[in-house]
Amino acid sequence: MTGRVIVITSGKGGVGKTTTSANIGTALAKAGNKVVLIDTDIGLRNLDLLLGLENRIVYTIVDVVEERCKLKQALVKDKKNPNLALLAAAQTRDKSAVTEEQLKGICEELKKKYDFILLDCPAGIEQGFQNAVAGATEAIVVTTPEMSAVRDADRIIGLLEAKEEIESYKLLLNRVRPNLIKENDMMSVEDVVEILSCKLIGIIPEDTGIITSTNKGEPIVNVEKSLAGQAYRNVAQRIMGEDVPFLELDKQENPIIAKIKDIFAKLKGKV
Amino acid sequence: MRDLFANLYSRVVSFFKSTEEIGEQTKEVARNRLKLVLMQDRTNLTPAVLERMRGELINLLSKYVELDKELLELNFEQEGEQMALMLSIPVVRAKTEEEIQKAIQEDEALKNVALADDEDENEEDEGKKEESSEESEEEVNEEEASEDTKEETAEKSETEENEEKEEEVNEEESSEDTKEETSEEPKEEGVKEESKKSKKGNETEK
Repeated sequence: MTGRVIVITSGKGGVGKTTTSANIGTALAKAGNKVVLIDTDIGLRNLDLLLGLENRIVYTIVDVVEERCKLKQALVKDKKNPNLALLAAAQTRDKSAVTEEQLKGICEELKKKYDFILLDCPAGIEQGFQNAVAGATEAIVVTTPEMSAVRDADRIIGLLEAKEEIESYKLLLNRVRPNLIKENDMMSVEDVVEILSCKLIGIIPEDTGIITSTNKGEPIVNVEKSLAGQAYRNVAQRIMGEDVPFLELDKQENPIIAKIKDIFAKLKGKV
Repeated sequence: MRDLFANLYSRVVSFFKSTEEIGEQTKEVARNRLKLVLMQDRTNLTPAVLERMRGELINLLSKYVELDKELLELNFEQEGEQMALMLSIPVVRAKTEEEIQKAIQEDEALKNVALADDEDENEEDEGKKEESSEESEEEVNEEEASEDTKEETAEKSETEENEEKEEEVNEEESSEDTKEETSEEPKEEGVKEESKKSKKGNETEK
């Protein structure tokens, strides 16, 4: 078996790399794939929190690299899905603790046993980014319809194009707010795609459910009704090669009605 | 008219407030998870090390008081600039004077044995409990073996090893003292601590 190694990157911080990694990883595992998520953000790890695995980490990627444990020992199995494992970053070290070659080596070893290896890349274009990209052959560039995020995504795309190992990269547009787009106060999906001239792999709507699911440490793909969860599940399907149409976000009703519906839904849930 | 609007306003506000309360459920979860994670980050104590610390504390304190081991709570709290280690264990029963004396004597005897013979490190009371948490200890040992404690730990007996770890784990907690000098002082401290904590423990139960 040779697994696919995909890096999830963005350049800009706070656009949702880690959330995307956690959700795509979980969705791929739910679909029956064997998946490893690697947190390459050494010193600022958070993927463990989003997966709710923060209390199960014994060894980190730095322990593997410095041979304090075997790679297998450092893989933390997900609570719900045995197909999903996490290789956590160390919190006490910095990006220099792991080299590009070492990360490549880890990916090569994992490829033999897993279908997908997803690398959660740190923000920035420094060593942390270089390390994460070194092991990958595919990339997902996460951005939001904001000027700064799009600009940084463009820079990242430029860097990815210069990497021989990266065979393909696709764009994931996160935190899309159809209502703002409708009012012409936010760049539309088409605008961003046109500016970056990059193929799309997903459009994720802004969803308050992301906050509560992060609070609980449970990826939103596990919430059946969530629109963002559905969007992430669709991304996973597309990664697996299926042709899934993009969600039509503008079909959503008037924001006020939506808000009222939301409130009633919450009240119902409470009772 | 104004009253009518005020009434309407307060109704609307309370309506929204009630929906916010639902959000607070996960807020509380987030707060608690974050506190725990930050404590681990700040102290460099991994869950495995914390578990080990728990085990060691139980072993140490149960010499002097009978504790409800299941309900032991170990927390770090930030009190201004000072970080405090909060230990809360419900006391099941106070030990009799004979039992306490016996524990001390056993301890002393063990220490003499340990001094006389490095290899003999079987401890009647502690041995069993330590076996149960052996797994996590081994992990920790591996982790820390790379550090400069390696040589020392190899030479020392298990109990002494534990002391070292605790030292590393928390500078404030001078557990070494309490273990080595089984004199009157540390014992009393231990009991006092326990009584305080038992009250706390009971409160939390309620």
